[in-house]
Amino acid sequence: MLSFSFERHTLDNGLTVILAPDRAVPVVALNLWYGVGSRNERPGRTGFAHLFEHMMFQGSAHVPKNRHFELVEGAGGSLNATTWFDRTNYFETLPSHHLDLALWLESDRMGWLLPAMTQEKLDNQRDVVLNERRERYENQPYGDWDERLQRMVFPEDHPYHHTVIGSAEDIAAADLDDVAEFFQVYYAPNNAVLTLTGDLDPALALDRVREYFGEIPRGDQVPPIPGRLDPGERIGGTVRETVRARIPLPRVYLGSRVPPFTVDDFYAADVATSVLSDGRASRLYERLVRERGIAKDVVSYAFPLATGRSFMISWITGYPESDPAELETALAAELEGLTDVSDGEVERALALAETRFLRQVAQLATRADMFSMSEQLLGDAGRLNTEMERLRAVTPAQVRDFAERCLGADNRAVLTYLPEEEA
Amino acid sequence: MSSPDPLRRHAGPPEPGAIRPFHLPPVVSHSRGDGLRVLSLTRPEIPLASGCIVLDAGETTAPADRGGLAVLAGDILTGGTESRNAAELAEALERLGVSLRVSTGWDATTMSFTTLADRLDDTLEVVAEVLESAVFPEAEVERVRRQRLAAIRQRRMDPGQLASDELNRTLFSPEHPYHRGLSGETESVEAIQRSEVVSFAHRRYRPDRAGFILVGDLAAEQVQEAAERHLERWTGQVDTLPEISEEKLPEARPVVLVHRPGAVQSEIRIGQVGPARSLEGEAELDVGNAVLGGSFTSRLNLNLREKHGFTYGVRSGFARRRHSGLFSIGTAVQTEVTMAALQEAFFEFRRYLAHGPDADEVRQARDYLAGVFPLRMETAPQLAARMAELHIFGLPLEYHHGYRERIRAVTTESIHRVLGSILDPERCAVVIAGDADELQAPLEALGLGEVEVRSGDGATAGVSS
Repeated sequence: MLSFSFERHTLDNGLTVILAPDRAVPVVALNLWYGVGSRNERPGRTGFAHLFEHMMFQGSAHVPKNRHFELVEGAGGSLNATTWFDRTNYFETLPSHHLDLALWLESDRMGWLLPAMTQEKLDNQRDVVLNERRERYENQPYGDWDERLQRMVFPEDHPYHHTVIGSAEDIAAADLDDVAEFFQVYYAPNNAVLTLTGDLDPALALDRVREYFGEIPRGDQVPPIPGRLDPGERIGGTVRETVRARIPLPRVYLGSRVPPFTVDDFYAADVATSVLSDGRASRLYERLVRERGIAKDVVSYAFPLATGRSFMISWITGYPESDPAELETALAAELEGLTDVSDGEVERALALAETRFLRQVAQLATRADMFSMSEQLLGDAGRLNTEMERLRAVTPAQVRDFAERCLGADNRAVLTYLPEEEA
Repeated sequence: MSSPDPLRRHAGPPEPGAIRPFHLPPVVSHSRGDGLRVLSLTRPEIPLASGCIVLDAGETTAPADRGGLAVLAGDILTGGTESRNAAELAEALERLGVSLRVSTGWDATTMSFTTLADRLDDTLEVVAEVLESAVFPEAEVERVRRQRLAAIRQRRMDPGQLASDELNRTLFSPEHPYHRGLSGETESVEAIQRSEVVSFAHRRYRPDRAGFILVGDLAAEQVQEAAERHLERWTGQVDTLPEISEEKLPEARPVVLVHRPGAVQSEIRIGQVGPARSLEGEAELDVGNAVLGGSFTSRLNLNLREKHGFTYGVRSGFARRRHSGLFSIGTAVQTEVTMAALQEAFFEFRRYLAHGPDADEVRQARDYLAGVFPLRMETAPQLAARMAELHIFGLPLEYHHGYRERIRAVTTESIHRVLGSILDPERCAVVIAGDADELQAPLEALGLGEVEVRSGDGATAGVSS
């Protein structure tokens, strides 16, 4: 049985520290999760958690602009950060003899970011983020699908009603006061999990972490997530939207509310999506792509989200001549049809999940992220050591039950994209 | 704020500790009597085995008027064997937890898989069955062709892919395979007959020039034995093909505007034909490119992104292939700043070629590339992919083992010399996929060259001077 040893510590200022040595290669991965994401944003400032993440790379009191990247790349490391609904993570993987550098940089921006903030830097990164929005969403076929689908799946007062990238207007409206306030409220050691995996000695590493992070003061308790966090188990009907856009092929998205990542029921949702679309013997591929030939591609996925409910999406891309109603009916029928899932289908899904999981944890950076995620969202850093057992415990009856509760017409958002009429 | 050790934080970045060396296990090569090459690398700590079969069946081996044939054949390879149909094959593999992927590039078709070590034999049995007895059923040919035609349609509407495809079309003459899209064009894919797919497979999916690659907790002898046992009945030779010529640089810079009405961004490509893959000058190209546009702190990115906010990011890179490579700078910028971004990109590009990198930049880029090298060799699938490159490009077995040393040996002078002998900013093509109504007049005013306007569907809409 796969098992990764680790230590968990809490510093006096509330910073949670996970240390998971693996000395196979002389590389160390640092992963820092802050318990803040787009779910914490207030109305009028959607997209701010992500814009703020960009500002974290603009230098801090002892690190000039561009220096953060220069130092890590110059040390032979790779680095980045991502913002999501429930969290923001910062990470670097570098040769292990540069561990101190990573700790110095991360602690400097956790403790001393604000003295380095300027209007010029904010203006610059606002432009960068607006271009990120154009590149990934506005100038892409189907690029606004998540914005539209989230609005249909979650009510206006739920934090998942809006996307992580946020609206262009809100991004443009952000100012330096927003940066200072957000930093003071959310970027405190007591709202963060720091994980180190790889070539390290836990006792020495803990000393180092204390030295660099120990003096950063504890912040106030993080305010509650705005909005009504429990939107109810189901959407309460079938909601629809049809979009005509410049797209190559018609596509239908189906979205549903599903149990959150934080409860065991989520595993059934995860297995259900594998049965549906993981691999070429999956239901959707085998039946809709291969057998009936009505789909060019199919996808089904349950987001691992923690706040109240999560959501599952499936999509079917048709061919130029496809009837969108047929696409929708076919996809919906397969989702509902999971109520007859067989033992063999679940076994196949679990076998694929196991290989995928082993591939993921083989990478130090991914393993570090999983530790942080488990600690931050589940309060159980060691979850990855029992992850496969929990997945294997999912029975076909649970998948059937999940399909019955969550995949019916009373819990469905249908988003249809049709190619623009030719002029 | 008081600090127990303020000097430490104020004194700048901490000194590194003692280096622990990174050792890559040796790659062991063994050739079967008929030429099949077995490459293995032993990593005892990995519970997975990753492997691939590299076939000398890249898209460059497809006939000139059948662009996309290699890609199509690769897609249908797992479409059924003499004893199992496509669904049964997929079921057998996926029950083992294995996804068998077939990917076709310009230089090879590669079947790759990752499996739990104790399921390797069962996996290889299915892989061998596919190699020995794939039947390319008519229904699968038609289904996959339809999927491929739809995918070509999707590529044309993705602005980044459209710009990259149009750059290749611009740089390579119509007789050269790189002129067309990797997966062919609508007309060529429509023209492919099932008999041509079968014949292509018969001629190209042969062991004599193929590689069998395996990484995991297996000794080299075990890997060789597995190859012998499972692939015993896979025989035959690939046919020989005429050599493909190297493409030359154009006399005058091509400037192409691909019209996407109303686009909020312009996808910009600046590029030229580059060197084929070889060891010669490779370290200089890698380090030199990291400084120009191959890292976050590159000159291009610090200018276009961190100084001007024109873009989410800009990259440059050498795509290195068997027959002529490609150098390109790529970025997506807000439509309104397209000309300013082009000017800044050319400013950096020209200045860099004229004066070369400075010593600090070279040190930084060398340390970056040498340091991240182990991160690209971390997992079994990554290692298998790196070894596949050894086979495809005929690189020495110690290629990766010496990589960091070669990187550390480059100098400002050697980079300046090698890049200067290859890159020419004045003959680089410029391709922009964006709103021609907004861009055409200012682009002409920029004076980079005669502007050819193409429509997004590939036709030439007109040339202006």
